[in-house]
Amino acid sequence: MSNRIIASLSCAAVILFGAGTATADWPEKPIKFVVPYSTGGGFDVYVRAVAPEMEKILGVPVVPENIPGAGGQKGAATVYKSEPDGYTIGIFNVPGLTVPPLLGKKVAYDLDQITWLGNLAKDTYSIAVKADSPINSLKDLCSLGRPAKFSDTGPASTSSVTAKISMSLIDCPMTNVTGYKGSSQTIVAAMRGEVDATLKPIGSLQKYVKSGDMKFIVTYENKPSIKGVSSSRELGHNEFEKLTLYRIVGGPPGLPKDVADKLADALLKAANSDAVKEWSAKSKKPLDPIGGAEASVLMRDLSDFYSKYKTILAE
Amino acid sequence: MGFDIFFHALLGVITSGSFVFVLIGVLLGLCFGIIPGLGGTTALALLIPITFSMDSLDAMYLAGGVMGATSFGGSITAILLNTPGTAPNAATTFDGYPLAQQGRAGEAIGASATASAMGGLIGLITLMLFIPLAKEIVLLFGPVEFLLLTILGLVAIAVSSRGKLLRGLIAGGFGLLLAFVGVDTVSGHTRFTLETDYLWDGIPLVPTLTGLFAISQMIELSLKGGSVVTERVNVGNLTGLWKGVVAVFKHWTVLIRGSFIGTIIGAIPGLGGTVASFIAYTSTVQSSRDPSSFGKGNIIGVIAPESANNAKDGGSLVPTVAFGIPGSAETAVFLGILVLHGIDPGPTLLLENEREVYGLIIALTMSAVGASLIGLLTARWLVKITFVNVNILVPLVVTISLTGVYVLEGKPGDVILALVMGIVGYFMIRFDYPRLTLVIALVLGETAERSFHQSLMISDNNLVGLIMERPQAIILVLATLLTLLLPALRKRAKKPT
Repeated sequence: MSNRIIASLSCAAVILFGAGTATADWPEKPIKFVVPYSTGGGFDVYVRAVAPEMEKILGVPVVPENIPGAGGQKGAATVYKSEPDGYTIGIFNVPGLTVPPLLGKKVAYDLDQITWLGNLAKDTYSIAVKADSPINSLKDLCSLGRPAKFSDTGPASTSSVTAKISMSLIDCPMTNVTGYKGSSQTIVAAMRGEVDATLKPIGSLQKYVKSGDMKFIVTYENKPSIKGVSSSRELGHNEFEKLTLYRIVGGPPGLPKDVADKLADALLKAANSDAVKEWSAKSKKPLDPIGGAEASVLMRDLSDFYSKYKTILAE
Repeated sequence: MGFDIFFHALLGVITSGSFVFVLIGVLLGLCFGIIPGLGGTTALALLIPITFSMDSLDAMYLAGGVMGATSFGGSITAILLNTPGTAPNAATTFDGYPLAQQGRAGEAIGASATASAMGGLIGLITLMLFIPLAKEIVLLFGPVEFLLLTILGLVAIAVSSRGKLLRGLIAGGFGLLLAFVGVDTVSGHTRFTLETDYLWDGIPLVPTLTGLFAISQMIELSLKGGSVVTERVNVGNLTGLWKGVVAVFKHWTVLIRGSFIGTIIGAIPGLGGTVASFIAYTSTVQSSRDPSSFGKGNIIGVIAPESANNAKDGGSLVPTVAFGIPGSAETAVFLGILVLHGIDPGPTLLLENEREVYGLIIALTMSAVGASLIGLLTARWLVKITFVNVNILVPLVVTISLTGVYVLEGKPGDVILALVMGIVGYFMIRFDYPRLTLVIALVLGETAERSFHQSLMISDNNLVGLIMERPQAIILVLATLLTLLLPALRKRAKKPT
């Protein structure tokens, strides 16, 4: 009996000691920060702005690695499958990634299992049309006598999902013309007039409106942030403002708590650093950082929220 | 109007000493171009982290230097080893390699260098002239035009295979088959991905090309034995080189046509230098008075593709100056570098960041000329490669190529693919199936299918109606018909009455 106790106590001691030493010296080698899109895109610039600051805080190189493909799924799968040793983290395009599993498609990641570390920003969506378009409002867009055409990169991208859901909520007939290579091509498509409108984050469309090539017709938010452009809530569509693009960061499932906490802490501090704030103001990329625990809650709310729209998405 | 800014910027580069960045870029570009498996995009992608700490203008000089040099660098291996250093050099092997085998490698390199430099310059001058119209040009070409262009390209494949029509079509068909592997962008379903992550985005182009051209060629050479040059000819003399240079000016119509085609195709996103050089080569052969002389060492067969694959650099900047959007994989990397420097490329890129855009154009100009000059100066030594025994040459090239392929993304799958395609390529050489046809079909297939679906959606399933509304689309249809009918018409013209 006492032998057993000694044995199990020593086992416990070894395990605790072993686990302790495994994480006690973390981090001791470079950390990989996976970006699920190619260089230069929206997610990429956030990671590249934040990584150097994280490096200063953690004392090891934090190296962005672009793993594009399959609408962000390849990057997500890479992080999901990697060792939970704190040396691989990634940024995820949410809610885009929530959609394929909702529709019953086989995916190589599980967002419920990812260790969420923080969210960097929320991008407000908006709809824009070409500058000389006869369409000037959401009402115009929906009374064309035929489905309104939106341009998008793929059927599972966050913007095409948002377009589908929001238009369905107001009974506005629409179709997504997909297959464009990159979001800038979808905006050019609207300029050509081959589609009626495109739904994108305000930040992506801003420069085309400023140059006089496009014009906004609505923004998905509570209070209007752009002069002369109605917000969705003003028009009475209260659900729209919940449809936003998140820049959320996570690590593989099973990440030890102390490592995850350190990562989340470093991420938050980096996002709030002066250098990153300056970058955000200069390049007009919004920043709205929240920490690890809140990020997990956010993800749970999001998957509940989007599962409501399963039937719409399956059409 | 754009030219005075151009000269001002040119003066700035030379006086500030920053041209050393251009030079470094040129040397890097030449090396990456020469080595099969590595290319412009790889070089630029590897440079991104380095440019982070540089001034944005210097970064542009470096990037432009690289970009303008790779397609000439690749022509050297294409000519000397029948192995294109980069995909856009594939068409150069058709006549470049026979020239090398005849001991006329110096002439071929001289022609390639000159055609590359001139083609690059013509492309850039055309760009500058069209800057005011850039936006209109970008808006002119949509999915409908892309579809028609890819059909034109595929028709060009069929037509260029005269003599071995069936084999050409089979190779093209196989290329299309490979093109459709991956995730369908319209429905989101996976096709033929064999349940692996690797094939999710389809069959990657660079490992396929490396295997199909480099590895297969090495297999062929090693089985043949000896060395590349089959005749004992004195190659050390410079007259061969000069003869090649002069030939470009002698055949200036070929140069103009090749550059013209290169610039236009460069301006259209998604097609690239491979398609540009292929179409330039094919159309030159077609409109020649003696088509059968090609493939046997006709210097014109080097001038056409080499001018096109450099002219495309100028063309590919049209979407960039118009809207700040990428028109090719390389320009996407440039824009990425700008983004890293806090610049947000958009329609006002040319207005707000004139310095960087013109810096890039200057660097491309200097690079096109500089790379060719370096090539001409070192040609005498480069040509000696054709005399090296294959027992040394083959293992060296295979190792370097496969390493280059692996360096791209660190995926073992790429290396396996290259080896598999190497074996496929070898059998294609043995049984005389055109490999470039397969490649063109592979490049065009994805764009063709995607544009087709997009065009259907845009036109509400009334594709013909939409084409009729767009003059540029009608022109493309006519060009396709002409390409198809030209050989038949010429045959009729030749028949004695």
